[in-house]
Amino acid sequence: MSQNPALEGLPKHAIERLKGLRESGQSEGIFTSDLSVNEFLMVREAGFEPIGLCVGSCIYHMGIQYGQWSQNQELNVLSQAMYHARELAMTRMTEEAQAVAADGVVGVRLEVKRLEWDREILEFMAIGTAIAHSSGHPGFKGPQGRPFTSDLSGQDFWMLLKAGHRPLEMVMGSCVYHVAHQGFLKSLGNIGRNTEITQFTQAMYDARELAMERMQNEAHEAGAEGIVGVNLHEGSHNWQPHVIEFFAVGTAVKPIEDQSVIPPPAAPQIVIPVND
Amino acid sequence: MGLLGRIMHGTPDPDAAKHLAEQQARDAAWQTALERGRLPDFVIKRLADTKERRLPWVSTTSVGGLLAMRTHGIRPVGMVSGNCWFNFGFSWTKGHAAGWHTAIERMTEEAVVLGANAIIDVRMKVFRLAELGREQMDFALYGTAVTIDSLPPSKAPLVATVSALEFVRLLECGIVPVGLAIGAHYDWLYQPSYQRQSTMMGLNGYAYMNRELVTVSQFVNRVRQAAYGLLASDGARLGTGVLARTQFSELLYFEPDENYPSGRCMYRHIAMGTAVQHEPGMHRPVNVKAVFSVQDKPMRRSLELTEEII
Repeated sequence: MSQNPALEGLPKHAIERLKGLRESGQSEGIFTSDLSVNEFLMVREAGFEPIGLCVGSCIYHMGIQYGQWSQNQELNVLSQAMYHARELAMTRMTEEAQAVAADGVVGVRLEVKRLEWDREILEFMAIGTAIAHSSGHPGFKGPQGRPFTSDLSGQDFWMLLKAGHRPLEMVMGSCVYHVAHQGFLKSLGNIGRNTEITQFTQAMYDARELAMERMQNEAHEAGAEGIVGVNLHEGSHNWQPHVIEFFAVGTAVKPIEDQSVIPPPAAPQIVIPVND
Repeated sequence: MGLLGRIMHGTPDPDAAKHLAEQQARDAAWQTALERGRLPDFVIKRLADTKERRLPWVSTTSVGGLLAMRTHGIRPVGMVSGNCWFNFGFSWTKGHAAGWHTAIERMTEEAVVLGANAIIDVRMKVFRLAELGREQMDFALYGTAVTIDSLPPSKAPLVATVSALEFVRLLECGIVPVGLAIGAHYDWLYQPSYQRQSTMMGLNGYAYMNRELVTVSQFVNRVRQAAYGLLASDGARLGTGVLARTQFSELLYFEPDENYPSGRCMYRHIAMGTAVQHEPGMHRPVNVKAVFSVQDKPMRRSLELTEEII
């Protein structure tokens, strides 16, 4: 209809919008998302359509637990609280996705916000974009037929499918740990010496190990083959100075079962970008 | 004598009265225009001159964006803008939606005068004066009005809050960014089942326990759902989807006073993003190639990391 090649193949209503002939969109079938433009393209390139923003939140009062001053130890009341609250937020988000018949949720961000007015209360929020396979292929659901969850971006999602895997579940491991204080005499002995403080090394090691182990167990229970994109965060959520949370998070994946939907693998082409 | 000389010597500006009159005339023109929801004559004239190429075209896009426009039959016409300094009489949250919407209308008005099909590369800015606190602020948008070859001028140019490069790429995939969708909502929770720790301490050791504040969680969820409902209906007014990258939320607690003996919570959520028009299920493949860059990170990057690693 037009001489401009850029407009060729555009849907009719899109051209009408460009002409300003239609002032409004459709009243039905609107999707919401927090995808970037590039993510939107890549999710569609992967054969999926965004359906809606999904959110789960949980306002949680953290119990109080004090570590022994000179003892390395996990504070399991706080570990459990971090687990419980995150799980509530994630479950609520997944329920929202299930309600709109999504196959899964991509780009999940799991945020913990401290509130200025009470240091014992934390706000947990899980947010992501629910997507569904455009031709309704049933083979992309998560464990037990629930929507899958993943913190992978739209681009990563496309690459994961290209790699022959599909996301199952966002898995996480948390460990809140009290790092022992050093005794006075011990610190005195370290003055002027280059030395490892093994006590602290052990604490960091142990806490990280616990967090990673728990994450791996979650993936195992979900029936995953592996976990990709694992990140490890250390954070203190308004706690005592020696209390640290180790938080491991990643996306559990398994091979795509239906051979017919596996896209041809894309071997990367080596390039030199000239634009930056 | 130049301006500086006049200031140095304290000589009055011989044209002072004239300049003042001119400024007052401009002020009056702006006031009338804003009251009537149109543009001042001098703005219309400049835009019309730009449209007729009596003045140079103006583009906010990068050079790369300009190239992409050139290859896709898109021409920059002029830079357009709109703003709205908004006083939050009753709600900061709702004010955000109102302020942006007004600014968009004004910017679109300018694009219509330019005979544009779309405003692309639209950027949003807010401006506050510290002494005015959070009670008022300016919402401003600016972007590049463009025409698309073979299309007639539009009475309702699109507002595309994406760069020129992204605009072109979206068109190639059969997607048109059409506007800015906003969903903003807030609400109060009276008698939150929340009490300060100090009042709980010692009673039964309740404060030592992990527990969810269920009422507050549910309240927060309700408010956010309402904001997303508004985002969806604002988006449906414009297109078929919303890419809401910008989200803000805040949970506040107010101590008990005479009117609210149990204290109260306020939660607000603002979500906004690019509304797009597309055909679900109809995708024009981009044929993405995976590439492996052998470009090394420049040295500067690792120096920037120094603080993190040392």
